[in-house]
Amino acid sequence: MATQTPTQETTEFGEVSRLKGIAFKYTSFAASIVGILALGVLLAYVFWDAFGLESAGTTWYLSYTVTLLVPLLAFFAYARTRPDVVAGAFELFSLTLGGVMLTVATVIVLSVIASPPVWFAYFLTVVGPAIGMYVYGQYNREATWVGLGILAAVVVGPVVGTLGLGTFSSLGAMLGAPGIYFLSLVLPGAGMAAFLAHDRLELSKRQSIGIGVGLPVLAIVGVPVVDMVPQIARSVWLIGLVMFGLPVGFTVVNTAQRRERWAAFAFPAIAILGFLLGEFVVGVVGATEPSPWLDWQYVTSGPSISNAAEAGLYPAIIGSVFLIVLVSVFTFVFGVGTAIYLEEYAPATGPLGTITRLVNVNISNLAGVPSVVYGLLGLGIFVNINAQLGPITYAGFGVGTVFTASLTLSLLILPIVVISAQEAIRSVPDSLRQASYGMGATRWQTIRNVVLPRSLPGILTGTILALGRAIGETAPLIMIGAATTKFSPPSGLFSKLTAMPMQIYAWAFQPSPDFRYGVVAAGVVTLLIVLLTMNSVAILVRNKYQQEAH
Amino acid sequence: MSNEGQTPDLTGDRGFRTVRESTYRYALAGCAVLSVLTTVSIIAVLVLDAADFFSVVPIAEFLGGTRFSPNLQPRSFGVLPLILGTLLITIGAAVIALPVGLLTAIYLSEYATQRTRSILKPMLEVLAGVPTVVYGYFAIVYITPALNVALDWLNSTLGLGLPNLGLFNGLSASIVVGIMIIPMVSSISEDAMSSVPDSLRQAGYGLGATKFNVSLRIVVPAAVSGIASSFILAISRAIGETMAVVLAAGSQPPDIPTVQSAFGIPYVAPGDLLGLYTESSATMTVAMIDIASGDISGGSTAYKSLFAIGLTLFVITLAMNVVSDVVASRYREEYE
Repeated sequence: MATQTPTQETTEFGEVSRLKGIAFKYTSFAASIVGILALGVLLAYVFWDAFGLESAGTTWYLSYTVTLLVPLLAFFAYARTRPDVVAGAFELFSLTLGGVMLTVATVIVLSVIASPPVWFAYFLTVVGPAIGMYVYGQYNREATWVGLGILAAVVVGPVVGTLGLGTFSSLGAMLGAPGIYFLSLVLPGAGMAAFLAHDRLELSKRQSIGIGVGLPVLAIVGVPVVDMVPQIARSVWLIGLVMFGLPVGFTVVNTAQRRERWAAFAFPAIAILGFLLGEFVVGVVGATEPSPWLDWQYVTSGPSISNAAEAGLYPAIIGSVFLIVLVSVFTFVFGVGTAIYLEEYAPATGPLGTITRLVNVNISNLAGVPSVVYGLLGLGIFVNINAQLGPITYAGFGVGTVFTASLTLSLLILPIVVISAQEAIRSVPDSLRQASYGMGATRWQTIRNVVLPRSLPGILTGTILALGRAIGETAPLIMIGAATTKFSPPSGLFSKLTAMPMQIYAWAFQPSPDFRYGVVAAGVVTLLIVLLTMNSVAILVRNKYQQEAH
Repeated sequence: MSNEGQTPDLTGDRGFRTVRESTYRYALAGCAVLSVLTTVSIIAVLVLDAADFFSVVPIAEFLGGTRFSPNLQPRSFGVLPLILGTLLITIGAAVIALPVGLLTAIYLSEYATQRTRSILKPMLEVLAGVPTVVYGYFAIVYITPALNVALDWLNSTLGLGLPNLGLFNGLSASIVVGIMIIPMVSSISEDAMSSVPDSLRQAGYGLGATKFNVSLRIVVPAAVSGIASSFILAISRAIGETMAVVLAAGSQPPDIPTVQSAFGIPYVAPGDLLGLYTESSATMTVAMIDIASGDISGGSTAYKSLFAIGLTLFVITLAMNVVSDVVASRYREEYE
């Protein structure tokens, strides 16, 4: 319109239309950000409450603004036009958070939920053989039995482990917890580190072996140092070295290898130095510090319904970790299995093709069923059932137990996992499959060596996002009778549990402002931090995948 | 791979290979059967227990009753108040989410630059990713007090006589449910708009239309079935929404407003209907949570009513999902 000759009529016509258009453009832009802004304000409030920022003095704000906020903003301004730096900083950020969470989850699973000797028994019978066979399969490509062998280890192993639990765990008890973790985590972790260094980071063979040997040596050398710090047990050091050290070490080397990403290191440097400097300045000036609800006491003590100062989230955190570990195992195995079958095996045409299509429609409809109905399903088939089938009596898995809850949540997110895995598998070009068949590969070999490696990042992204949904679900847990407030963490598969969202739900009705604006806010922030970590790891995996695909 | 020099063994170990191939095939088929089993057992659980319930309480009394009180004597199991509560929350959420979501989709698909889109889209997804119990907490702790402050301000400056909101109210629940379903509307509608062929837009510009006209008169009508499908899905999500409503809307079902009559035409005063938003407005999902978390013994009629409500909810949401599928598949045929 701007190029038209401005005659009297067209200008007038153009002016009017342009005004309407501009008004509409800005209205629709406002609409797209109104939800985000609303959520942003609410999140700001809840963080404000959870960290007790109200009670902080002006000098406290001033010191941290100068030492932390301004440098960070400067970094963001610098990175805005440099996508490489942003990508590097995001990778450092999400893998550091992910490493912390992985460490916490592993410590909880291996030393709170399962005792170290029990873990050792199952490591000897299940995890160890499976890893061993996988590594052998990578080394000797002609050993076609490896896949079936791993399957057998996963199926038979738990039985052997349970039968020989006494023997194996007394063997473990002789080693002691640190010894067990050294054998079962640090040594496989060292192998993994050497592999990653050589294969992904393309370091030389000598450097990779050095890393592989260096990790166990560091683990041992670190022990006397760790012993001087009473807060860190030896077990935590060993677990953290593998679960935090591996991802963080990987991203640090990965960032260091690319010149254009070096500036990304400024991000963690500014964050850490800014925080330390802020602490120092606040100490010197003597500023009033905030009194956060979300602190060490909060995440390590049990819930209280009367005393806000003593209330904590510990049993709920353990319950949530327990749940998410079981749910991820169930949904990954069954979800990916279903997706592979539907995309690679199930007939697409003919009368059987109709069945396939119906199953697909069925799955997408299952994804739309309200979560509270899944709760009823769990109640019906895992709790209130008493079926007699010949000599076998099936009476469910108990009211509100860990097992019941994890099965119910698994059924809930299974359709989401299946749909995203199907999309990932579908996006593998057919030419790759044809090439594989052309070289004489069977269908399973094609899936195993061509389809799965190409679609794995997409599958992982979908699974992590779905797990994020599971960790925030409350309604199904209420329906199956999970406890709202529980003072001790679950001790086994068949003990009652509570989870973080359940605890938030239970506290939210407390009338006292200390609970409403303090304890619950801290719980909400804990849950959101866990979700933020999971989502940023998922986005990282997806971005990597998109880069490789193009 | 390492024996390239040797003669390839074309016969191979057929026996073992067949066993392996079929083991995997059946193991994977077993996984796929699970999804069918899930559906079957949902329906079986709901129908069997609901049938038990309907043998005690007649269907007509359940669907037509105007009072729901499973715990207090005299017990009565009329689902209408719960359906009214669900309708109130759903309509309130739809009033917020449908226009906002549609405008968002138009902006993202027609106006936004690539860079803006890559920032806005993930941020919108966050709205759907926040756990619903957190939204419920936001509603009772921050939104309701804020709304009350706003109402007081309106009353004092404009001299209106608006009532204040109760601790539990339908309005705050509608707002949070509306916020959480915006991304559902925007992402599906945007997909539909992006798949409108560019030739249609070019034709519009060729005729001298402005961007505004092209967006509203060409793209939106062309994508209307996708938009409709997104609306239905979002509403179905709002109907099934549980925790946000449990926390924000409270457990008391709304009173069914009195039906007035003018010239023989029955109607409900709009003020009465809007007034319902200021009070507790339990939905079907809230009633289910309420019964499940109360100490009602399994096997009692109150307990069985859980499954009857669940069945009603399941049928409604399933029907809406199927309709949305049908509507959406129409537009795919048109443009592919």
